[in-house]
Amino acid sequence: MEFLLEINVEEMPLAHVRTALEDMTERLKKELAAAKIAADGLRTYSTTRRLIFTGDLAAGQPDRDELMTGPPKAAAYTADGTPTPAALGFARSKGVDVSALQVVKTERGEYVGVRKAVKGRSTADILAAAVPQAVLSLSFPKMMRWGTGSLRFSRPIRGFLCLFGGEVVKFSMEGLSSGDRTTGHKLHTPEEIRVRSFEEYRTKLRDLFVVVDAEERKAAIQAQIKALVAPVGAELYPDPALLDKLANDVEAPFVVMGSFPESFLQLPIEVLSTAMREGQKLFSIVRRGKQLPLFLGVADVVGDPKGFIRAGHERVLKARLADARFFWEQDLKAGLQKRAPRLKQVLFQEKLGTYDDKAQRLQKIVAYLCGKIETCKTAKELGVAAGLCKIDLVTEMVREFPALQGTMGGLYAEAEGFPRPVVRAVAEHYLPVSVDDPSPASLEGAILSLADKLDSIVGVVGLGIQTTGSSDPFGLRRNAQGVCKIVIDKKLSLPFERLLEKIINVYGDRLKLPKAEILAHLREFFAGRLRYLLDREGIRYDLINAALGAGIDDLYRAYLRAKALDAFKSSPQFEPMILMAKRLTNILSGQMASPLNPDVFVEKAERELYAMFSLIKDNVVPMIAKGDFVQAQKIVFRIQPALTAFFEKVMVMAEETRLRKNRLALLQAIRKTLTPIADYAQVVVEGEKAKK
Amino acid sequence: MSLQNLILNLHKFWAGQGCYLAPTYDVEVGAGTMTPDTFFRVLGPRPWRTAYVQPARRPTDGRYGENPNRVQKHHQYQVIIKPSPADIQGIYIESLKACGIDLRDHDLRFDEDDWESPTIGAWGVGWQVMLDGLEISQFTYFQQAGGLEVSPIPAEITYGLERLEMFIEGKDDIYDLQWSDDVTYRDLRLAEEQQFSDYNFNRASIKGLREQFGLAEKEAQQLIEKRLPLPAYDQCLKCSHYFNLLDARGVISVTERVKMIAQIRTLVNQVARVFVTPAAGAEGAV
Repeated sequence: MEFLLEINVEEMPLAHVRTALEDMTERLKKELAAAKIAADGLRTYSTTRRLIFTGDLAAGQPDRDELMTGPPKAAAYTADGTPTPAALGFARSKGVDVSALQVVKTERGEYVGVRKAVKGRSTADILAAAVPQAVLSLSFPKMMRWGTGSLRFSRPIRGFLCLFGGEVVKFSMEGLSSGDRTTGHKLHTPEEIRVRSFEEYRTKLRDLFVVVDAEERKAAIQAQIKALVAPVGAELYPDPALLDKLANDVEAPFVVMGSFPESFLQLPIEVLSTAMREGQKLFSIVRRGKQLPLFLGVADVVGDPKGFIRAGHERVLKARLADARFFWEQDLKAGLQKRAPRLKQVLFQEKLGTYDDKAQRLQKIVAYLCGKIETCKTAKELGVAAGLCKIDLVTEMVREFPALQGTMGGLYAEAEGFPRPVVRAVAEHYLPVSVDDPSPASLEGAILSLADKLDSIVGVVGLGIQTTGSSDPFGLRRNAQGVCKIVIDKKLSLPFERLLEKIINVYGDRLKLPKAEILAHLREFFAGRLRYLLDREGIRYDLINAALGAGIDDLYRAYLRAKALDAFKSSPQFEPMILMAKRLTNILSGQMASPLNPDVFVEKAERELYAMFSLIKDNVVPMIAKGDFVQAQKIVFRIQPALTAFFEKVMVMAEETRLRKNRLALLQAIRKTLTPIADYAQVVVEGEKAKK
Repeated sequence: MSLQNLILNLHKFWAGQGCYLAPTYDVEVGAGTMTPDTFFRVLGPRPWRTAYVQPARRPTDGRYGENPNRVQKHHQYQVIIKPSPADIQGIYIESLKACGIDLRDHDLRFDEDDWESPTIGAWGVGWQVMLDGLEISQFTYFQQAGGLEVSPIPAEITYGLERLEMFIEGKDDIYDLQWSDDVTYRDLRLAEEQQFSDYNFNRASIKGLREQFGLAEKEAQQLIEKRLPLPAYDQCLKCSHYFNLLDARGVISVTERVKMIAQIRTLVNQVARVFVTPAAGAEGAV
């Protein structure tokens, strides 16, 4: 039989709608499964004002026989088999004649009992309890109360439509009783409708211009957009996140196309599209990558016959663009470089100084970085960029659209005729803003971004400001993840400890904690962030431990080690090799280092192992130096058969000291070759898991 | 319809909903939310309905009277209904109809926009109300004020009067609005915008403002200790205004901003606490 639930709400944001649909479905399935009602076919639909769940469910639990036991046999019958009052009372309480009682054997002895057919609960009954339970269980990133109620939810709930097999499933919560009614579009078709099935619900709402399926609305928006842009030979400037938001936000999608005066096209496309997207949520239209003086908006209406909606958007957009142009012109007139002194008045952090101080530090840090990165040929330009990059913070445009920080700096630097590497470094130095963002495309952008992020991290950590749990007021975690992402994407091998020390020195006496303490904090902090990124890439925690255990001073190499381990984890040699490495670790623990002398070998197996090791070592050392851990691992894995043979045939702990020490020395040498690739002992293999 | 008739219509509508029409508050504020008629009334259990016009000063929005959309002082129509009724969105929609807007021809949207005022330790959940792409109101279910959970939950509706009037008159320039039938917005406000923009951006003494901030902060602290939350709150509002002026002078960084806002919030939270817990033997809270 069909189940249909509509939770009528005030406008919910897209992310909350998604959470509600997923969690509610899971919760309902769980409740129904516990009651032995299969609910695999639950489907969901939604608008910003409706959360909809529907699907076929069994009518109820199956009927079953249940055995109920009463008093002991001895108390139930007299010696001649006459039922006692106890037996009569039990039979009465179960609604059966005393003759229906039977004797049942239990662990505690013989009792009287009665078998009775028990009707399964109806699904409607189960739902009447399960639905309110599920609603109560939902949780959102930000929750609210309303009126005098105590329920916390995403937005106020205004009604429940709940049917099973066409009948109302009755429940009430927060003063609302479930029913079989809902209303059409809040503004345009606010009629109340009564429904018996999902099909009727969907059809009647469609007649009132409400489309309940978000995918269908999205397709409708896309089709309307296509029909509007095709005739002008243009295309939509893609913005999938905006499309998803708008498909959620409207019940009756209607796309409006409008225009703005061509004179605004002199503004950069970044400014135009930001001004259009923020606020009015408009799409930009482009032809061959060039912005056209047109926009597309998605309205929640049946149509715009009088053109009021288009005209309204045009008027608002014109004002916004006029504002943006005013900022653009003011900023150009004031000039980027000429505004540099204003950075002296803008504090970066109370104890760490102004943005002018920061710019000066950045100049020193990029110079150092450039010296460490061979491919960097633009030290001079980077120095200029470091001095310029923060000035856009005092421009009008960034004040209005903070999301354009960096971007505006780049555009203004370009307008002032700075060379390309300077412009790119300034424009890209905030990237990546989040781990899902791309790293800077240019090496200059990458270096300046590293310098900026590291400067902030070292400074704040150096003041002893803790980043814990939910408290990260300076966004240090995001910054550190950005650092990791950049060195990975740009393949930058850097001695981090020395770099951080350099930055601490640049800060001079501004920092509060002693150098060693800052470095210890930072080591742990960066290891944590790299761990997080590797975990996001789906790498097992023990492989991450093994990779980081071999050293984290060079974040990029630590990353490569983890990737190499991950690439080998399913190969047949992996597990035997790990076990062998663990055996090495165990046997060598507590042993002093001894010198290796090839002339002391006596057994064939040890000579062969030594020969194999020498060969492998010569090959593997350059691989490790290059950071090619995949290749290095492939080569060292070849030692495993010889090592196995060695352990089988050779007595390591030989009585004769000379032999014993030399064998240990061979194993120590092997281990020393393995450790820069990974700390294999930290890998967890199947056998061990079973033991644990 | 003139702006003054818009105000009269809103007054009539909300008075009809049982609102007390409060007089405009006489200390500079950045938003209607900050006045005592909202701040203190949302605290505590007593149901309350109020509506009023409040000028809102935002020094950084000044444009020397040259921008057709931005002014450093605009007017808000502020409504507080506590507890929020079930059909409050519907009542709001009715209020727009009462202002002569025929919604059948327009796109009215409740667009996610959670409101927060870190300065007064307040936040709420709600929307910006967009009419054909123009933000005409902020609609909020208050959850916290002065750092305290509020209960019952008030609905707050803030109309941007100039915006709404521009929509109604179909004007592109704020200064062309009719305040009354024969007085324009230009007549009333242009000189003020010109002079205050110059003052806010160029003339206000940075040193003086920092000193005044410090004095008001100290005064608020003393008044809190004397358990006088109402005058203490006025001093907090002054701190907030001096902060806004310093901001317009462009001398406050991201981090200093955080610090100064935290200073004000700490005071406001103390004010709220004193307000809701009257001293033993004293008369109950307002």
